[in-house]
Amino acid sequence: MQKKILIVEDDIHISKIIKMNLNLVNYATTEVYDGLAALEIVKQEKFDLILLDVMIPKLDGFALMEKIQAYSIPVIFLTAKNSVYDKVNGLKLGADDYMVKPFEAIELLARIETVLRRYGKDERVIKFHNLQVDLDKREVIMQGKPIEMTPKEYDLLVVLLKNKNIALSREQFIDKVWGGDYYGETRTVDMHIKTLRKKLQLQEHIKTIYKIGYRLED
Amino acid sequence: MKFWQKIYLFSFIVFALIFNAASILVIERSHNKMLEQEINSALSQNMSIHSSVDAIVPILRIFDSLDYEKTVLTNIANEFVAKNNDQHTFLTIVNDENQSIFSNTTFQMPENREELDKLDVDEIKYVLRDIDKRTILFTSNITVINHKNYVFTYMKDVTSLYEGRVDQYRFFVQVDLAAALLYMVIMFFISRGLTKPIDQLNKTAQVIAQGGFSERVQLQSKDEIGVLARNFNDMASVVEDKINDLERNNQEKQRFIDNFTHELKTPLTSIIGYANFLRTTKYNEELYLDGLDVIYSESKRLESLSHKLMDLILLQGQHFQMREHDLEAIIAEIKPTLEMKAKEKQVAIVTDCVEGKLLLEKDLIKTMIFNLVDNALKASSEQQSITIRTSWHDNHYLLEVIDEGIGIAKEHQDKIFEPFYMADKARTKVNNGAGLGLSICQSVASLHHAVIEVASEENKGTTIRVLFNPMDQSRKLSDKRI
Repeated sequence: MQKKILIVEDDIHISKIIKMNLNLVNYATTEVYDGLAALEIVKQEKFDLILLDVMIPKLDGFALMEKIQAYSIPVIFLTAKNSVYDKVNGLKLGADDYMVKPFEAIELLARIETVLRRYGKDERVIKFHNLQVDLDKREVIMQGKPIEMTPKEYDLLVVLLKNKNIALSREQFIDKVWGGDYYGETRTVDMHIKTLRKKLQLQEHIKTIYKIGYRLED
Repeated sequence: MKFWQKIYLFSFIVFALIFNAASILVIERSHNKMLEQEINSALSQNMSIHSSVDAIVPILRIFDSLDYEKTVLTNIANEFVAKNNDQHTFLTIVNDENQSIFSNTTFQMPENREELDKLDVDEIKYVLRDIDKRTILFTSNITVINHKNYVFTYMKDVTSLYEGRVDQYRFFVQVDLAAALLYMVIMFFISRGLTKPIDQLNKTAQVIAQGGFSERVQLQSKDEIGVLARNFNDMASVVEDKINDLERNNQEKQRFIDNFTHELKTPLTSIIGYANFLRTTKYNEELYLDGLDVIYSESKRLESLSHKLMDLILLQGQHFQMREHDLEAIIAEIKPTLEMKAKEKQVAIVTDCVEGKLLLEKDLIKTMIFNLVDNALKASSEQQSITIRTSWHDNHYLLEVIDEGIGIAKEHQDKIFEPFYMADKARTKVNNGAGLGLSICQSVASLHHAVIEVASEENKGTTIRVLFNPMDQSRKLSDKRI
């Protein structure tokens, strides 16, 4: 089931870029550009998560937050403000996370996923062509047969699946799979990608992107 | 120890010392006076016996008989004792051989009579002695009768004098206790009353120290503490004003920073977002062009923001060379450019100006007028007009930019000169503004010692007035030269 995310952001460009990124990884999105419109739509439709800008016209993000608390929808604040006061204020009002602009798409996706998981709303089984990955069992099934994988191969595959259609750099892979304190060579990523392509018949789908890294494509 | 307690204690100690010392002095003095009187009267009594004996010495010389002398002396003594027949006087007469010739004492005479040592004839010596709880004044002299020395001792009981003194002291102690008690009670209230305003000051100071800057002391007295309280209140007012100023300043700064980061980060978020999207996703021509378009326009927006910020920063830290220019001529000079801008929106520019020679920085004034007209244009719709009018009022030169546009709501009017302040964010964004235009105008105006103000009514239009004061201008400029 596609998750529905409401984007409340008055800057049309930012709203659109968020939407495009979310759509790439199969989230359904709705955009509104001011606080009152957001309030209206929250009353009518059900959303799995709201991305909420603080400085929006008519009703600001904090005020809106107070009004929609009863719906208990997870909220991630998006804002240019980064003072401690605003962070505390936002989180005190019940926001689940707080993102300071400018942010990167991969970061936003990771935060959304974390919040959804906290609410038990994330997908525990990811399907991709002839693959099926069970996140709870850490199991990869290809055409009905389980595939044996090393932990790092598995983690790398999950990162690729979660950031489908978005190219990630080798550094980003290392950060996500091996952890921030890994000082090994980025060639390790190439080796693992090579294995994944072979094992899971993903030669067509894992693309090497010039000057960046790798991208899993549909 | 508290101040009132100090006043109380020290004044009480001083009172007790002085009151007691003075009273003791008075009692002792009166006692001594009375004692002196008693001594004098005793001495004169003694003298009178002496003289009456002297008077009969010639007769005694004729008879020269020991017994006769004895009889006569006894007679005189008896006569004397009878004359002073109260209980308190005594007389003894003793001859050379220490034989008592006469004595009416009711007590044992002391063994040791130092007053008799080296007692000369015609000399009276006196001494006070305590005998059996009585105090007795002894006065002694020697009378020579027929080459024989007779010691006459006249004594007076002065115990009552001493009893009187004790009585006085007893009375004094009672008075002293009563006075001290009364003093303690009165002084307690006085010292408390006198220091009460200090307590009040203290409490107010504490409240202020804890952040209650609007607290004041309520004291109406005209003494030094009243003056102190008034000065204290004055000080508190100044501090309160300062704090409020600081707070307002702080809030303004915080708003500036918030707005600035917002203005800076919004285009940056778009640029980074689109650039990254184009970089990391599969090529799609439509998205690609859209993305580049956003990156371009948002970069332009950043560029314009940085230009305006530079203007603002330059205006704040610089000294500009002011020259005398005619503002009417400057307006005429830039009118074609303004008209060209207005043409896009089909707005007419009307000028209604009089000559005005002022000390100006020409480029800055142009920037200001451009900005004012730009703002007016943003508020106007098609077929409306913008009027630029200048006029003299007394010694002031007034520049007005008047539009017929949508106006500014009351709640925004006092803030529109703040950097980044936008009455309507959405509209300003469409017009590619950052809310810096009027701040720049404000800075330019204050550089020219001009006052800038706004009058606006929603949906009727806005008038921005810049009031130049040539006198003020030249005075302030010459001040600077000195």
